[in-house]
Amino acid sequence: MERYWEVASTWVVILAASIAVWSFAAATLPVPDYFLPPPSAVLSAFVELMTKGMLPTFIGESLRRILFAALLGLFVGVPLGLLLGISRGIADFAYPVLNFFQSVSGIAWLPLMLIWFGFGERTILVAVNYTVLFPVIFNALLGVRSVPPIYVNALRTLGASRWRIVRDVLVPGALPNIAMGVRLGLAYGWRALIAAEMLVGANGLGFMIFNAQTFHLTARIMLGMAIIGALWVALDYFFLRPLEEATIARWGMVQR
Amino acid sequence: MMRKWRGSALAIGRGAAPFVFILIAWMLVTRTGMLPTMFLPPPSDVARTAWEMLKDGSLWINIGASVGRVLVSLVISVPLAVGLGIFVGLRRKLSPVVEPIAGFFNALSGIAWLPLAVTWFGLGWLSVTFIMFNTIFFLVFYNTLVGVRTVPRIFEHAVRTLGGSRRHIIFQVLIPGAMPNIVTGIRMSIGFGWRALIAAEMIATSTGLGFLIYNASNFHQTDTILVGIVTIGVLWLLTDRLVLQPIERWTVERWGLVSSDR
Amino acid sequence: MTAKITIRGLGHEYVNPFTRERVVALGGIDLEVEDGEFLTVVGPSGCGKTTLLNILAGLLAKTCGTVLLDGREVTGPGPDRGVVFQEFAIMPWRTVEKNIAHGLEIQSVPKQERSAIVRRFVELVGLRGFERKYPHELSGGMKQRVAVARTLAANPEVMLMDEPFAAVDSQTRITLQEELNVIAQSTRKTILFVTHNVEEAVFLGDRCCVLSGRPGRVKALVPVRISRERRRWNLLMSDATFDAAKEKVFGLVREEVGKEV
Repeated sequence: MERYWEVASTWVVILAASIAVWSFAAATLPVPDYFLPPPSAVLSAFVELMTKGMLPTFIGESLRRILFAALLGLFVGVPLGLLLGISRGIADFAYPVLNFFQSVSGIAWLPLMLIWFGFGERTILVAVNYTVLFPVIFNALLGVRSVPPIYVNALRTLGASRWRIVRDVLVPGALPNIAMGVRLGLAYGWRALIAAEMLVGANGLGFMIFNAQTFHLTARIMLGMAIIGALWVALDYFFLRPLEEATIARWGMVQR
Repeated sequence: MMRKWRGSALAIGRGAAPFVFILIAWMLVTRTGMLPTMFLPPPSDVARTAWEMLKDGSLWINIGASVGRVLVSLVISVPLAVGLGIFVGLRRKLSPVVEPIAGFFNALSGIAWLPLAVTWFGLGWLSVTFIMFNTIFFLVFYNTLVGVRTVPRIFEHAVRTLGGSRRHIIFQVLIPGAMPNIVTGIRMSIGFGWRALIAAEMIATSTGLGFLIYNASNFHQTDTILVGIVTIGVLWLLTDRLVLQPIERWTVERWGLVSSDR
Repeated sequence: MTAKITIRGLGHEYVNPFTRERVVALGGIDLEVEDGEFLTVVGPSGCGKTTLLNILAGLLAKTCGTVLLDGREVTGPGPDRGVVFQEFAIMPWRTVEKNIAHGLEIQSVPKQERSAIVRRFVELVGLRGFERKYPHELSGGMKQRVAVARTLAANPEVMLMDEPFAAVDSQTRITLQEELNVIAQSTRKTILFVTHNVEEAVFLGDRCCVLSGRPGRVKALVPVRISRERRRWNLLMSDATFDAAKEKVFGLVREEVGKEV
């Protein structure tokens, strides 16, 4: 308990010190105003955007898009990856393809999507969903393939059907890899989303900070960045990482 | 000897088979004329454009720009991040405080810095390289920090009971023990960094593969876009095969260590 | 009366993927295992004992010969031949009781009956109180007990055990051997037990089948005429019959090892 206070008080000190240093630098550095706005400017930008209702919209749009990608990844990507992984022949065939397309991020496909769909929502969605799907499918496939054969054999000697083996061995065995794939896919996807919003400009946090730069509203940029970071931390720390660790820790499996 | 050649030829064949399949499918789709060439040009067009770009150097210039930025960022940020990560990780009082901050900046890293970078440095290679730099730096720093901190205490005890000094513990236990995390961090940072680079090049500069494909879309030059995309994919595969996998084999796999991914 | 397991002229060959050589793992096995018999299989390393077991289990295909269980040909794996693996192979993501119940789930045994059977076998292997634990919370010996319970609960015709106690410390091993004896006695299952440990083979087996070095053939069948009740380590420490059988089997195995060197 004492340690907790120690850490907490160190934090308060650090926070206060950073704000102080920042304000000082903002006031004294010989650079144009828009270079380094003081913390107070960021705060007022926050208030302004909140009261105008713009901030909730920006955040809402970005979250909506990433959530959609997450659901697609979970309900389409995972089953697809599992299916591809079950048969050795198909898995070996799909592996290089998935690897290649995974490495070409969704953003690289954006210019092509611009030609196909123009500057709109669909372009963003295609880019982001692509970015999330491939790592999910790839890792689900890997997960299935990396289940030690002895578990499959053990179930065969108990007379299990193919379907049973998939359900009782391959899926649980692949879960740590799947969790990792989802986490990686969403990490890439979140960043791809911000980039796509910058390029396509259809609302969202990426658009917010990109647009702000055009008008030198640096306080708004910093606000947007803080929110982008905080949202990902929240998502990763409170949701994704516990999910991943829960599967691994609960089953005591060490993953490579 | 013959057998070995036959074995690797078979392996390459098997690896290439799915792509041949895709290539054929692509060719057939464009043959049917279902889609206008602006949407999906036939592979022959793309190949021709690729050849022209290789000959007149335009592809090389852009590859050079992108790869150059990656290399510069790596060379500067990796040693810095590893060094700082070890430094902070060793300080028991400092590391628990720094870690969450590093985690936050890690989460923030990448393209989100672009508007700020452009505000400070204007459009151009400096902003873009800055993006790569901070992506790589924060990822490697964070992973190194965590790696040093999570080396099991028992190894430290073992060196102590052998009469080892603090110096021994640092160089013989903590740094090697953190290697899996460090290597993972470097590996991941190249992945994230490369993606951030392509995106940044699209927005903020006029050279590089990202710019190449984005610019081409403005002129509806779909074949150029596809050349760019294939180049990106191939470059990444080469990086993975020739750089990342060997690194991992030399260090982590050789030592039979398990890494805790962050 | 026909034997439970009949093996005639069983052979197994394969091609070594690295050296591309043809390897004859089993060179013609002729063996009969009676119903309710505890047969142990010993031999030098590489003699094909595990290959033999895997073929019986249906996890490996034979090259030639016949393998019959109750007069029927053995093809693939199935619940009639329960297997206990050296590496336990219990699902890390299932609790002890769910692991033991696994075979019953597969056989669609109704829930009530399932719980009753599971409870019985949890008792039998002495894991009461651990039903809700996950494998990673258990010691090696306990994991193996779960594996044995799982196989038994599925009520196979025969039990095939592939060096099940090799990955367990020697104290636990002794305990598990004695427990296995008790189980063998009470369930009267036909058991085929592969091991490289001669003492273990003689301690457990009604008969010891000694395999020759590669290519594996039945070198000898050594009966161990000691009643199941007497098979306790404290009783057999200085038992003449036990010592004699041990010496005999040991000598036979040494011969084969000597041939390879």
